[in-house]
Amino acid sequence: MCGIAGFTFPRGLPGTARERCYSDRLRRMTASLYHRGPDAQRACLRDGIALGSTRLSIVDLAGGEQPMTDPATGVTVVFNGEIFNHVELRERFREHRFRTHCDTEIILAAFLADGIDCVNEFIGQFAFALWDPRDRALWLARDRVGVRPLFYAQTTQGLAFASEIKAIFAAGWLAPVFDTEAIQQTIHLWSPVTPRTTFAGVSTLPPGSVGRFDGRTLTIRRYWDLDLSVVDEQVSEKAAVEAISDLLIDAVRLRLRADVPVAAYLSGGLDSSLICALAQAQLGGTLQTFSVSFKQRRYDEGAFQKKVAAALKTAHHSLQVDDTSIGASLPEVVEHAEQVLLRSAPVPFLHLSRLVHEHGTKVVLTGEGADEIFLGYDLYKETKVRQFWARQPDSAFRPRLLTRLYPYLPLSSQSTPMLRQFYGIGLDSPGTPEFSHQIRWMNSGRITRFFADGFLEQVNGHDPSQALIASLPPRVLSWRPLARAQYIEMQSLLTGYLLSAQGDRMLMGNSVEGRFPFLDHRLIEQAARLPDRFKLKGLVEKHLLKRLASRWVPPAVIERTKFPYRAPISEALTGPSAPTTIQRLFDRAAVDRVGVFDAGKVGRLVSKLASSSSLPSEADNMALMAVASTQLLAEAFLEQRPVAADRVEAVEMLVA
Amino acid sequence: MASTTTRLRVDGEVVRDWQEQIRCFISENFFVDDFSDQDSFLQTGIIDSNGMMLLVVFIEEEFSIKIEDTELLPENLDSLNNLGRFIERKRRGRRSG
Repeated sequence: MCGIAGFTFPRGLPGTARERCYSDRLRRMTASLYHRGPDAQRACLRDGIALGSTRLSIVDLAGGEQPMTDPATGVTVVFNGEIFNHVELRERFREHRFRTHCDTEIILAAFLADGIDCVNEFIGQFAFALWDPRDRALWLARDRVGVRPLFYAQTTQGLAFASEIKAIFAAGWLAPVFDTEAIQQTIHLWSPVTPRTTFAGVSTLPPGSVGRFDGRTLTIRRYWDLDLSVVDEQVSEKAAVEAISDLLIDAVRLRLRADVPVAAYLSGGLDSSLICALAQAQLGGTLQTFSVSFKQRRYDEGAFQKKVAAALKTAHHSLQVDDTSIGASLPEVVEHAEQVLLRSAPVPFLHLSRLVHEHGTKVVLTGEGADEIFLGYDLYKETKVRQFWARQPDSAFRPRLLTRLYPYLPLSSQSTPMLRQFYGIGLDSPGTPEFSHQIRWMNSGRITRFFADGFLEQVNGHDPSQALIASLPPRVLSWRPLARAQYIEMQSLLTGYLLSAQGDRMLMGNSVEGRFPFLDHRLIEQAARLPDRFKLKGLVEKHLLKRLASRWVPPAVIERTKFPYRAPISEALTGPSAPTTIQRLFDRAAVDRVGVFDAGKVGRLVSKLASSSSLPSEADNMALMAVASTQLLAEAFLEQRPVAADRVEAVEMLVA
Repeated sequence: MASTTTRLRVDGEVVRDWQEQIRCFISENFFVDDFSDQDSFLQTGIIDSNGMMLLVVFIEEEFSIKIEDTELLPENLDSLNNLGRFIERKRRGRRSG
């Protein structure tokens, strides 16, 4: 159940006129999401509302057709995702006369009983649009952390919504134009500041929110948010491990519910290895695992993947990605991602979901979310060290801790005074909300020096980090530094990039549904109440999770140093193996035409990277990726291509 | 100021002195050109910590000096002005020594 789209329009038109005015738009929107649901594409027009759905059948393969209507009230829903506790909820709403075994009908039953507050009952990953003809309201809802996407835009006729932005453009009301400030935000922060998107006029429904459109106004309300302010200092570490263990096992159990086989991604790291182990134990040995490996050793985790797969006795499949295949598939990746990218890491994920699809598998578990919830990233350690250092800014010892964190720092930067110059930024004001992310944002912000003068004029004075800070709920600003860092990280990196550009879009690009046990909200809430020292113990990340994992995965996986997942950029985009489709993106005329970057500087960057024999710097790699993805976004969206006619034709219109 | 041996041709133009030479290197490698002689490379984000390593190698090669670990200090390296004073001091030291 995986792609939704639709729009409102003025009521009162006779059926034939309605059909004539709106049917084609609805068909085009629905067809543009074919990849999200190749099993069925259906749509319906009612008085004042158009709803479309593309379905990937996972639960109740025969039933569960969408759009789904409650015959008594006419309440109709289109739904993307899963309500994992649908079995339990069926019991809770047993007064409803169920006609299917599908979780889509749970939304109808729960809404009819409890109204939109029913979302509080759902354990799941979902985005849905629900039309209530009784008060002519369109409801939009999205899961707590934003696993499933949902976009909307005002049109001349009302409100349009869809799982992907391309479907909103396919309706034909809105011309695709870059939101220049959102592009600048993505380049600084990895994602646009919610609710903005790459394109002007298109917004994202914030995670954990519901919206009600009454024909004039969309009123959005948050029904859930991450709360890191209350910490249970009394709990013992042992009790905490048990509590997290119980919840994680249950989160996996619920996510194995499907009428098709559920497989898993295996990166070779701690988080995915643990998920695979728990799933394998529950499945009794039938788990299939999928991995991506790299030809270049500095990116490759193949050895660990094999070790874990062998230890867990999974049926393991892996795929090797090289420079050529990364370059060749980048256009497709960017078209799915719909945002500027600073890393090529999403690319292998599109290859991986293709491998899963080719094996006839529709659902995979992934380990995403553990680093955010259990403080796995270096960013958290950096925040901790910098806070410690800020208490004694003249200390010679405290900044030295950074070299433990970044052992690969070049010698020229390792002396205390040099560390102070770079990592000491903002040390005199450790209470500011941006403190934790200052270094990262300064690194990515370097890309702005490649902007064209004209573009700089357009974004003149806009400060992305301040825009993000301004978007935070005020209560977050009073939290302790690590909690603030965690909140910012979950909003900007997790929801805005990892779950979308690198997650949902790369999975759904090949009609595969990802499921994320670590993002079960019961687990998130429990982990949020635990003291930071259980998660980041000294400078050891994910301490509690490691204790838990030691029961399930080989010691070598737990003891290994955290290996950041990366993929080649400059080797793939500028080297001799770079396809001409990529090389021509950097041509002076092409860069000038899009107008975001300075063609002269881009030319110098490309020739520097192509001629250099040494490893490219992180800064140059990110800049190159930003340029390539921006150019590809312009090609894919600003010069709009029509939706394939046979797909539009294939959309089945339900008779009202 | 710099002796004739340190002069360098960039795009056919003779670079006037060491300061221009370093400025050119930074602009070519880090794509920034609007910074002043006093700006801290690290604090203003002109160069990142890896870039500092490139700069050190460049200076050692171009000015035929050797920079000791103990000399890897902001007051020696972290602005055009600081670099200028440092390089002069090193070169004077070499001539007299």
